[in-house]
Amino acid sequence: MSTAVYVNTVTYAATHVATNMLGSIRSIVKGSGLDPARIRESWDILEDGIATWLASRHLKAVTLEVYDPRKSGENLVGRFDFTIDYGYYPGGDGDLWLDPDTVAYAIRKNGAFPARCEYRIVADTAPGRPDVRGWATTTYRSTTGFTRHVVGTAIGGGSLGAGLAYYSRSGT
Amino acid sequence: MSVVSRTVAAIPVRTSVAAWQAVTGLLAPAGSAARGRLEAVTNIAAILITAEYTQQAPIVVIPASGPRVRIRTSHGTDAAETRAGEIPLAASPCAEPGWTMSLPCGIDDIEEIRAALDRHPGIEVRDVTDGITVDEPAEGPAAGEWSIDYEEMERP
Repeated sequence: MSTAVYVNTVTYAATHVATNMLGSIRSIVKGSGLDPARIRESWDILEDGIATWLASRHLKAVTLEVYDPRKSGENLVGRFDFTIDYGYYPGGDGDLWLDPDTVAYAIRKNGAFPARCEYRIVADTAPGRPDVRGWATTTYRSTTGFTRHVVGTAIGGGSLGAGLAYYSRSGT
Repeated sequence: MSVVSRTVAAIPVRTSVAAWQAVTGLLAPAGSAARGRLEAVTNIAAILITAEYTQQAPIVVIPASGPRVRIRTSHGTDAAETRAGEIPLAASPCAEPGWTMSLPCGIDDIEEIRAALDRHPGIEVRDVTDGITVDEPAEGPAAGEWSIDYEEMERP
C-alpha cells in the first residue's frame, strides 16, 4: 500500500506543478499584454507535454519566449523561465502550493510588451524523453544582451519546485 | 425544474484537460454529436478548470427535457476523495438536441472566453459570481434515477 501512495503522491505533484505552471504562463501572457489565443488554442498539447515530462523527470525548464516578428535575426524581446528542481523538498511530502504573488511580481517588474510581439513556449528536456504529440525540436533564441533575474519559487508540490526567472535587456 | 449535481475530481488527480474529459464522459456518450460539441471546447474549459472557477460555481447543463445538471470540480486534497465517489448520471442530459451549457468564469477572463465561445453556439460563459435562475421543484425525484440537492440550488 505504501508504494501505491508514493506513486499517487508523485503523480499528483507532477500534475499540480504542470497545470499550474501552464496557468502561470498564461497569466504572464495576459499580464504582459500578449494575445492569449495562442496558449489557449494549444492548451491540451502544452499540458500533455509538460505533465508527461515532469512525471518522467525529463523536464528541466519551461520557457515563455517573447519575440518581435518584425525584426530579423536576433529578435528576442523578453523571456520567462520556470526551472524545475526535483529535490526542492528533499522529504518529498511537501504541500501542493502556488504563489501567484511571485508571478505577479515578475509581470510587474518586466512590464508590458508591444502588441505586435508574439511568443512561443519551449520545454527544455533531458535526453530520452518520451515523445508527446504536437511538440517539435527547436533551439532557444539568443539571450545575448539580456540579464537574467531570479524571482523565486512560484509553485511547489511533493519534492518538486518550479522557480521563476525573467530576462530584461541589459542596461535598461 | 429539478437539479442533479455531481462533482468531478480535477487537479492534482487529473490534469485540466483530463478533468474536462471526465465531465464530457458524464454528459454524453463517446461518439455522439453532443460529445463532439463538448470536446470542441476542451481547451477553453480546461483553462476555466485550471483557474478553479468550476470549483467556485458549477458548470450548468440545461437539457431539452429532464433535470438540469450542475457539475463542479474539486481541487487539491479534496480531489482524491471526490474521484473515489464519482457517480455517473442515469441519463445523458445532452441526448436530445436543444441542450445548452453555462460555464463559470472570473471577470478577468470573461471577455476573452466569451469571444472564444462565439464559434460554439449553445455553450456560454457567465460571471462566476452570478447565479443561474432555477425554478422551484414541482415534485420529488424519480426513484433510483436522480436526486434533488436543495443546498446545491442555493449556491451561486
